[in-house]
Amino acid sequence: MRATIEVHLPVFVVIMPLFVAFVLPTLARRIRLVEGVVTSTTVLWFLGAGYLASLVLIRNGNPIGYSLGGWPAPWGIELSVGSLSCLFLLMVAGVSLPVALFAAGNMAHEVGGPKRITRFYVLCLLLGGALAGMAVTSDLFNVFVLVEVATLSCCGLVSSRNHPLAAEAAFNYLILATLGSALILGGIGFLYIITGHLNMGFASQELNRIWQEYPHVVWMAVSFLLVGFGVKSALFPLHVWLPDAHSAAPSPASAILSGLAVKGYAICLIKVLYNVFGVALIQELGMHRILTLLGMIAITAGSLFALTQDKLKRRLAFSTVAQVGYIFLGLGLANSMSLAGTLFHMASHAVIKSGLFLAAGAIIATTGNDRISEMAGVGRQMPITMAAFTVCSVSLVGIPLFSGFIGKWNLLLGSLEAGNRLAQAVIILGSVLCAAYLFPIIRVAYFEPAPAADWQDPGLPQKTALILLAAGVILLGVAPGPFLELAKRAALDLLVMK
Amino acid sequence: MTDLALALLSGAVGGILIGLTPRAGNRLRNIVALVFSAASTVFSWRVAGAVFAGRTIRISGEIAGLAWSLQPDPLGAVFGLIVSTLWLFAGVYSFGYMAGEHKQRTYYTYFLLAFSVTLGVAFSGNLLALYLFYELLTFATYPLVIHERTSEAMKAGAKYIIYSLSGAGAILIAIIIVYSWTGNLEFAGGPLLAGGGLRPGLGWVLALFVAGFGVKAAIMPLHRWLPAAMCAPTPVSALLHAVAVVYSGVYGILRVIYSVFGHELTGQLHVGRILPWVAAFTILAGVIIATQQDELKRRLAYHTVSQLSYILLGAFTLHPWGLAGAICHMISYSTLKVTLFFGAGIIAKRTGKVRVSEMSGVGWQLPRTMAAFGVASLGMIGMLPLNTFWSKYYLMRGGVATGKWQLALVLITSGLINAFCFIPTVVAAFAGERGQPTLETGSGTSLMLAPMLLLAGIALLTGLWPGLVWPGVDAVVDWFF
Amino acid sequence: MRVLLDELMVNYPYFAAMILFIIGAFTVLTRSNLFKKLIGINIMESAIFLMFIAAGNIRGGAVPILDEANPQTVCINPLPSALMLTGIVVSVSVTAFALALIIRLHQSYGTTDARRIAELRKRWHANEGNH
Repeated sequence: MRATIEVHLPVFVVIMPLFVAFVLPTLARRIRLVEGVVTSTTVLWFLGAGYLASLVLIRNGNPIGYSLGGWPAPWGIELSVGSLSCLFLLMVAGVSLPVALFAAGNMAHEVGGPKRITRFYVLCLLLGGALAGMAVTSDLFNVFVLVEVATLSCCGLVSSRNHPLAAEAAFNYLILATLGSALILGGIGFLYIITGHLNMGFASQELNRIWQEYPHVVWMAVSFLLVGFGVKSALFPLHVWLPDAHSAAPSPASAILSGLAVKGYAICLIKVLYNVFGVALIQELGMHRILTLLGMIAITAGSLFALTQDKLKRRLAFSTVAQVGYIFLGLGLANSMSLAGTLFHMASHAVIKSGLFLAAGAIIATTGNDRISEMAGVGRQMPITMAAFTVCSVSLVGIPLFSGFIGKWNLLLGSLEAGNRLAQAVIILGSVLCAAYLFPIIRVAYFEPAPAADWQDPGLPQKTALILLAAGVILLGVAPGPFLELAKRAALDLLVMK
Repeated sequence: MTDLALALLSGAVGGILIGLTPRAGNRLRNIVALVFSAASTVFSWRVAGAVFAGRTIRISGEIAGLAWSLQPDPLGAVFGLIVSTLWLFAGVYSFGYMAGEHKQRTYYTYFLLAFSVTLGVAFSGNLLALYLFYELLTFATYPLVIHERTSEAMKAGAKYIIYSLSGAGAILIAIIIVYSWTGNLEFAGGPLLAGGGLRPGLGWVLALFVAGFGVKAAIMPLHRWLPAAMCAPTPVSALLHAVAVVYSGVYGILRVIYSVFGHELTGQLHVGRILPWVAAFTILAGVIIATQQDELKRRLAYHTVSQLSYILLGAFTLHPWGLAGAICHMISYSTLKVTLFFGAGIIAKRTGKVRVSEMSGVGWQLPRTMAAFGVASLGMIGMLPLNTFWSKYYLMRGGVATGKWQLALVLITSGLINAFCFIPTVVAAFAGERGQPTLETGSGTSLMLAPMLLLAGIALLTGLWPGLVWPGVDAVVDWFF
Repeated sequence: MRVLLDELMVNYPYFAAMILFIIGAFTVLTRSNLFKKLIGINIMESAIFLMFIAAGNIRGGAVPILDEANPQTVCINPLPSALMLTGIVVSVSVTAFALALIIRLHQSYGTTDARRIAELRKRWHANEGNH
């Protein structure tokens, strides 16, 4: 029994949320039951992901391979669970749990009625399953399918509030995201045409053998893939859908969207760039410089835009744009320290952003207004919420003892090794700007006099979720051992020429 | 080792305790603050004593694969002594000054937390710990800067944070570069970069460090946050922005030059050779701008900018006499500046006057205050029998010994300008007729007056018997040369 | 010139696919009518499908059903067609969802023009939270 589970665990981790998502509509009316099922699913999922990670660590990071349906590669779809997959799986499952806790009992007013709550959870679980799939897949077309599942679930989540603003945001997101999907499919098409393989390992071998005969096609492929995944992971200037979408979605959805979904597409891009093209080819094509430049522009532009926003959730959305810039910057620097820093930053940002969005959601729901200038005194009336917000903000700025510092430290070491002085300056500039757009919120909340209103902290499940996320941020900052280890191993795996 | 831990924890625990008890009475709160400050001071003195006796005290650990350590050496011990002693004085002064003010709980919470963090800066044993406490210091002192909650205070607070974080960013880049060269950030065991010779980019790293720490050390043109921060309550201005926070910046620069680069290596770099002139510029420019200020606290702020560069000038001479002068000035200047600020606070509280042009005759209403103020002013000029005479003497000797006699000239000139800065004020204070009613009454005033008089007394004492501070100064110079 | 024409004759499906892709992208980005944007998306995706299926084609190849008698006959590659079936299904789902959103927008704003909707949104919901 245990052996069966162990062998099939890679696919269980993907299928479990999908299966529960399909089953949930049958329980539609009993909301308590639905919420209980969702929460237990996320707990089981997290345990499964943890177990899988431990299996990979025991094997010293050697990936566990799995062939869907027993068909071996290159005829069948292969899953490959290595350190990168484990890191992302733990991230997704680990963040989904507090988000599910936060959403419990809290969703009726957000989605416009108790009848629509189950639909919300179905979409969340579908997104979770798609992200888990993105973590483990090793097949190009499988990537496309999962990207589509994720896109549709994300658009559904954005539109789940029954409001015309949400519908417009969802439509714009859908159109742009599908444009991205078409580009991704085109890129995959080019790769398939010249290599004849869809499996990443085989395609990589073939590509490195023959790419000199088709330089233009390879260029087109990498450009299509970069723009396609760039639209989806909100790389500046392809980010235009993100502020509207993430501020129109209900808060738990914003947390998952900003924290996990955007990262999922980035993980797919990492896999395609590093596992299929390989770091040598990327540097040959000069792609790494483009990535670095785009990352730096994104950090600066995203942070500057965030400064101008008065609506809290829009400010956090632009902050996501800036942090995605850090991810692309680390990708472009292409050495083991910067990649480890990028991956760790992804994980820590997922926890941080979820904490920020959930706290923001609690504040907006309680106070009834969403502008920062009207949030005076919230810190004293909702101490736990604001404390979680403060911990997450301080970590995002990159103060030592919090998780953001470690990602920044490794990124700085990486840019030093790559000899890129501008990148170091931009990383620090990004932190200063991050403080500039996050600390005024803390200042208004704590140091301005509160109006005579009776605002209280949200209920127990919500408080637990916020405390869990804040504790996660501090834990990753003080004792990141296993996660940093996973990130470093993943970085080394990515740089190995297959 | 327990002394070290307790020294740091007393302040933090006291601060948190006060912070979590909103309903405690003012009297009880003051007693708690006094107890914890005194405890922290006592333990810091014990740590310093142990360090001067030659014992090694160390607490170290690892976070995320990066090593941090707390290991005071003579420089850290001297800084810790200055900080802890003056904090105690400022605490007593606060009891008098803050009586009846709003938000006392917030004030004392962050007062004690900042005490703890500053001791952390003083006792840090490697660059990472220094950076950590340096960053935390910005956040621990921010609520004190914005204490008055006026729009002016909020703007000053925002300026403070932006300047400090940018400086900290520059320091982080420099630390990363040093880490990539040496893999080790410890201060003990000789200068970190000494063994590697003249690597390319060494000058840039030194510039980054000096600029980063220079924000808090108010080197021109990075000083602009300091006059703005004068809108804080006087004990905060006195202690933090004339002694503790700015001394953290100065301490950081001293560490960089002597523990990271080493005085030999610094002397070989172009950047290292320009630094004394940067300090000289700040000395002169600061004191000249100070004489033009009408508001007393702003005058003292610009004067601080100028005087801090005395210490930096001594450090930048890279000579034992210069360093001795710098350490001596750290000790002597702090006592005098705190005295001056305390005086400004008493004047503001009792007469409501904040502008120098309005202060004629104040001396008859506040005789003892102005007497101490006058003594401190004499010290700023560098005259016997005040302790700053000795620090200026050694600074000038250091300048001459390194062949830069122009620096001695700068010091003499600035001493003269200092006279213009303060003497007219003191003389005008005692102008007019005697016999005005004295305002130096009340328990609040005595709480404010006592520390001031004590400090002026200490300044006189150490001026007449410099042997009292000489062992400490000697220990630091011997450690590095 | 000769070479170009030769290339064109041999690779005309790919040229057609790229032209369709550009038409589709242009439509999405420049037309303000929501339906036209959706049609543009569909055109883009059809272009990609065409590219894949053309890639799988082998001129003179037989239908890809295994013929026991002559197992060595050259068949066209069935894989891209299978992949594109998935793609078509995805495209249909996206279209359905987008149409539902357009209906919702039409119910709220009374128009299907993106620019008009943005104007109305600014006027009606200017102070409302996007929360």
